[in-house]
Amino acid sequence: MQRKSFLASLGALVAGSFVPTSADAFAIKGEEPSVKRPPWLKPGDTIAITSPAGAISEAELKPALEQIRSWGYRVRLGSTIGKKDFSFGGSDDERCADLQQLLNDPAVAAILCARGGYGSVRIIDNLDWSGFRKHPKWVIGFSDITVLHSHIHRHTGIATIHSKMCNSFPDDWEKAEPIQRDTVLSIRDALEGKPMSYTAPASERNRPGSAEGVLVGGNLRTLENLAGTASDIDTRGKILFVEDTGEYPYSVDRAFQNLYRTGKLNGLAGLIVGGFKLKPDDPGEEFGRDLYDIVLQRVGTLPFPVAFDFPVGHQRANFALRCGLRHRLAVRADGTTLTQTP
Amino acid sequence: MSKIPAPLAKGATIGITAPAGFMDLEQMSACIDTLQEWGYSVKLGDTTHSQSNTYFSDADEERRIDLQRLLDDPAVDAILCARGGYGVSRIIDRLDFKAFRHHPKWIIGFSDITVLHSQIWEEYGIATLHAPMAAAFNEDGPGHASLETLRAALEGAVSAYNIAPHPYNRVGHARGTLVGGNLTLLAHSIGTPSELKTKKTILFLEDVGEYLYNIDRMLQQLRRSGKLDRLAGLVVGGFTGTKDTPRPFGKDVYEIIRDAVSGYEYPVCFGFPVSHATENVALKHGVEHQLHVDREEVNLTERVKK
Repeated sequence: MQRKSFLASLGALVAGSFVPTSADAFAIKGEEPSVKRPPWLKPGDTIAITSPAGAISEAELKPALEQIRSWGYRVRLGSTIGKKDFSFGGSDDERCADLQQLLNDPAVAAILCARGGYGSVRIIDNLDWSGFRKHPKWVIGFSDITVLHSHIHRHTGIATIHSKMCNSFPDDWEKAEPIQRDTVLSIRDALEGKPMSYTAPASERNRPGSAEGVLVGGNLRTLENLAGTASDIDTRGKILFVEDTGEYPYSVDRAFQNLYRTGKLNGLAGLIVGGFKLKPDDPGEEFGRDLYDIVLQRVGTLPFPVAFDFPVGHQRANFALRCGLRHRLAVRADGTTLTQTP
Repeated sequence: MSKIPAPLAKGATIGITAPAGFMDLEQMSACIDTLQEWGYSVKLGDTTHSQSNTYFSDADEERRIDLQRLLDDPAVDAILCARGGYGVSRIIDRLDFKAFRHHPKWIIGFSDITVLHSQIWEEYGIATLHAPMAAAFNEDGPGHASLETLRAALEGAVSAYNIAPHPYNRVGHARGTLVGGNLTLLAHSIGTPSELKTKKTILFLEDVGEYLYNIDRMLQQLRRSGKLDRLAGLVVGGFTGTKDTPRPFGKDVYEIIRDAVSGYEYPVCFGFPVSHATENVALKHGVEHQLHVDREEVNLTERVKK
């Protein structure tokens, strides 16, 4: 199977078989009661699309809609699609109302954020989670959507999916490269309850070890700017993953300093470092440390495994991760494996 | 009640250190000469002439030791940070302020030095000087137009600034401790031991080179962490070199700030000369001030205990 062999060679593998699942949300047995996951999706379910942050046009959604429909799902477009308030997908009130309606609607099984950008933090405090708590559903996205992942994790304990969004679906599926298809298909796998396991290539900068804990994380600068707010997360005993793009090395160092000084590194079970497309230093301001140096220096002697080059971030290799569910991280000489524990 | 370091007498010693980014000693020569013309001795910390070829003036431990020595040295009456950049938050948790607490001295700087101002105020209630640094003494340097305010503050003059009105100003009168600094560093410190408490304070903000959306995001963080709702007043300085994304944010930086505090009632003034540009007046961080904003003018004045 072409897809599998490619993934294996790339180092990121989605294990393939189905497991029988309950249609109801439940607290997973043997885990803390706060760990809950929405029902897996079944053909015919509805996936709604909304823009809690940046604006997107209906035309830009076309590849995503075709693909999602081909998986057997219905698609519902939120009222923010096609709306534009400068960079935002509608005013704060409009974006909040759209997301709220989709959160409350029992006919919506999952909410896929159309794109990131900036804006979720402007509406997060005005959302009411009572309907969502009663009838959990998958909330999907990354980058600015880190605000939603963190807030939902903290206030509801309900799992979410960190993955590509509509603006990353390839325009021409047939001509798309395997990594583009596989990352998009990993969203479907995550929604349908397939066992999730990813590998990343070995790196001599990795710090070996193994860990088990609830998976949390997302965009580093977004996490930094949630400190002290109602969306800030407790990372103790958890596996934290971080990614970012377009930041100067000093800014990434400062953000890791923030994680450290806000106590988010001390009690970690494990750290996963995804893609970081660093902005080159300004001339004369060379930071003199690469991403590996920055992370390892800050982590110091803290006793947890660290995995680099993980396929998550603002890059083609950005696979779906189930945030808020327990995972096992194994960082070994021959590579890294992250597996959701049953 | 804040502890305010004593004014500097003629002949007092100002120590210079670089707790964050690297600065060439040559770039500090105007600063050294001018401080001597003002009647002070200058003591150069090791980080002002290190052989560093990286971003930082020296390794974390060397920067920490250099600042620590100046904090502890009873012969040093004030500490001028050569420049900001980034680096204070990498060393601050390992600084020992015991000697400094008993013999407070002015610590001078801004930008990355905001972390020092916040932590020293929150932990020890000691006033510091948010003011131009070494580059300001060069003719084209940031803060050059405000050097005399630094000199006056060091000599013990009472701060009193009168500035022109701005259309976005919100009139009112406030009394409170003046605190604040660089928005990015204030946001960066939230949740850490350097976090600033802002209740009943007059908060001042400035920043440089940030994206508009990021300024909005940081203001949302300040708002959501309860830093904006119970201010006595807000002083908005310069936000220089702001950048925008290909999809424009749709507001300028003062509109972003005006909207972020539109739900509150305290006085707000815009265009205050605290910034990374040529105007950057000395502000006594941690000292009681009054802020008066009306349609004609704005006054920010240090309150003197009788």
